[in-house]
Amino acid sequence: MKNIILKLIGILGLIYAGLFVIFFFDLDGKFLYYVFEPFMVKHYDKMERKDNTATPYDMKEDVMK
Amino acid sequence: MKMGEIRDKVRGKFAGKPAKEGTVKIGSKRSLKKVASDFWYGKPHEERRLGDLYIGDTGLYKHREWRGVVDTMYYFNMIWLYNYAHMVTDIMKYGGGPKGVINFAKGTWRYRWMGQTYLTVMHWFDRGLEGMRGPILRGSAWHYRGMVSETIRQFQEMFACDKKLHGGIESEQWKHNIAHNETVSGSIFYGFHDVLEDIPLEMIPYFVTCHVNNHTVLHYIDAAQSIGLPSDPCPMCQAEYGIFVLDDYPDFAPTMITSNEACDGSVATSVLQDWFLNRPLFAMPQPMRYDDPLVQKHCQKEIEECWKFIEKQYGVKFDWDMYCKYAEEQNKLTAFEHEKWDVAANTPYYPINGVAQALYRIYYSQDGNRPIWHEIDEYVRKIMNKTVRNQIVTLPKTRHRVIAWSCAPLYYSNWCTWAYNCWGLNCVINMDSLMFDQFLRTDTYEHALEDLSWYNEKAPMRAMAVGGHEHILSLWDYMEKFNCDMVVMYDQLQCKGMQGIHGVFEDEFRKRDIHAIWVPHALPDKRTVSRKEIRKIINDYMITVMREEPLDPTLLDFEDDSSW
Repeated sequence: MKNIILKLIGILGLIYAGLFVIFFFDLDGKFLYYVFEPFMVKHYDKMERKDNTATPYDMKEDVMK
Repeated sequence: MKMGEIRDKVRGKFAGKPAKEGTVKIGSKRSLKKVASDFWYGKPHEERRLGDLYIGDTGLYKHREWRGVVDTMYYFNMIWLYNYAHMVTDIMKYGGGPKGVINFAKGTWRYRWMGQTYLTVMHWFDRGLEGMRGPILRGSAWHYRGMVSETIRQFQEMFACDKKLHGGIESEQWKHNIAHNETVSGSIFYGFHDVLEDIPLEMIPYFVTCHVNNHTVLHYIDAAQSIGLPSDPCPMCQAEYGIFVLDDYPDFAPTMITSNEACDGSVATSVLQDWFLNRPLFAMPQPMRYDDPLVQKHCQKEIEECWKFIEKQYGVKFDWDMYCKYAEEQNKLTAFEHEKWDVAANTPYYPINGVAQALYRIYYSQDGNRPIWHEIDEYVRKIMNKTVRNQIVTLPKTRHRVIAWSCAPLYYSNWCTWAYNCWGLNCVINMDSLMFDQFLRTDTYEHALEDLSWYNEKAPMRAMAVGGHEHILSLWDYMEKFNCDMVVMYDQLQCKGMQGIHGVFEDEFRKRDIHAIWVPHALPDKRTVSRKEIRKIINDYMITVMREEPLDPTLLDFEDDSSW
């Protein structure tokens, strides 16, 4: 039991230290800037979108009815 | 690549520059003492060299700032970890459990303003809180936390009922949502608050994005111009209808309450939204010259008409008791704001920095009463009381107390953090904070309507900017009230209203012998006047007119064009 608790504390300590490294060296920012954002931008750029400008000017109606 | 090159590259990305030689002999007793002191307390302001921490023009850090043990650990535990963890819990809480995570993922995949912007939110904290220590770090961070939580609530509410994310299904909640323009205050809907959910349509897809990651908004501005709309009106209006041109708005409500916001540029927003949305829409214009008693009557009538529109569309009745309950709750927020202003104006112990003050105030007063604002105010109250009791000077390197006037550059709302770190300019208060300064009486229906109408008229960009010269020139009174000796005068290049009064201010500054720095910008669009250009203007004034030396010379000139 004591060993398990010590192991658990050790694992949590390692996770905490790992998170501190991510924080201190701004690894979260670097990941988002160099990897995540460019990937998402590519995705949004090629996304098919409805052409809202094709909406007829006179199709106003009460959609609650 | 040779090992040496790899090592240099890694050092360039992650390590700061080595300390300048010749000051303290390495290995000497004094140097060890100094290293230990810097480690424990953080470096003194003049030795921080914050500009050396940036990687190129990305705005990323080689490493985040070491603020001393206590403040670094506070930042790590109570800001970075706390906020990342609470973002997850907020997504679940406001999204109705684990399905909230699925809606969040769907929304992130569907909307550029979501996926490209909000995951970078911790850098928004970093930029605003650079160089902050002690209570001002804590108080300002709580303000940021409030804004993050409320932002998550709003987009989770939108995603939960968004027809575009749910195969075109009109859920029960969709039928009980009201979409409204971001400058239509949440307080208008207090009488329906428990039965209908009001969500500002552009606040999260447009306004907040500009502060967090200013890359996103440029797509919407360009989209607006791509269909032939002119490029010279306010880019805020352009971005708002650009979202519709790109079909990047969530479809979460059957009706829309719109507004002319502060200027005629945004009339186009309302007209185009009416076209694109194709659903019942109520346009509730806000008057410009609002002192006229006849305008008051008109504005009150408009609010009542809006309530009638909601009653008709949703089949619910305006509930007076419900209105009173939430108006009184909101008054508590206003009362605390006055307490904060009192401390900011009369003491050096105010634990909120310029950017946190400006953004939090405009956010909650526009958004209306929500539990998170009360929660945050309680945290901040404790910090402020302690700071005042112990007489802790929160920005000890203050050389000038600054008031910022007119509308701020959204892509550089954290300029005041930079200005303090570089020049000791302490932006005590700003114009946007002073708007919405109105208690809502609830003793009679007539008083309630009268005050709500005033509140609506004191909306952003309206109370002072386009409300008439007697309001815009109230700057002098506020300068005195807040004990300021300098003005940073924002010059929104595409605001026709404020451009018209430029010369009046020039004359008045000269006549009154006031140091004023004009800061040109184009609200959300960083391409017109870059952040670097804004810094250069302030630097030039501080060097050539004020004849002062920078506190941190590494912040004088650096690139950040590609940063968030």
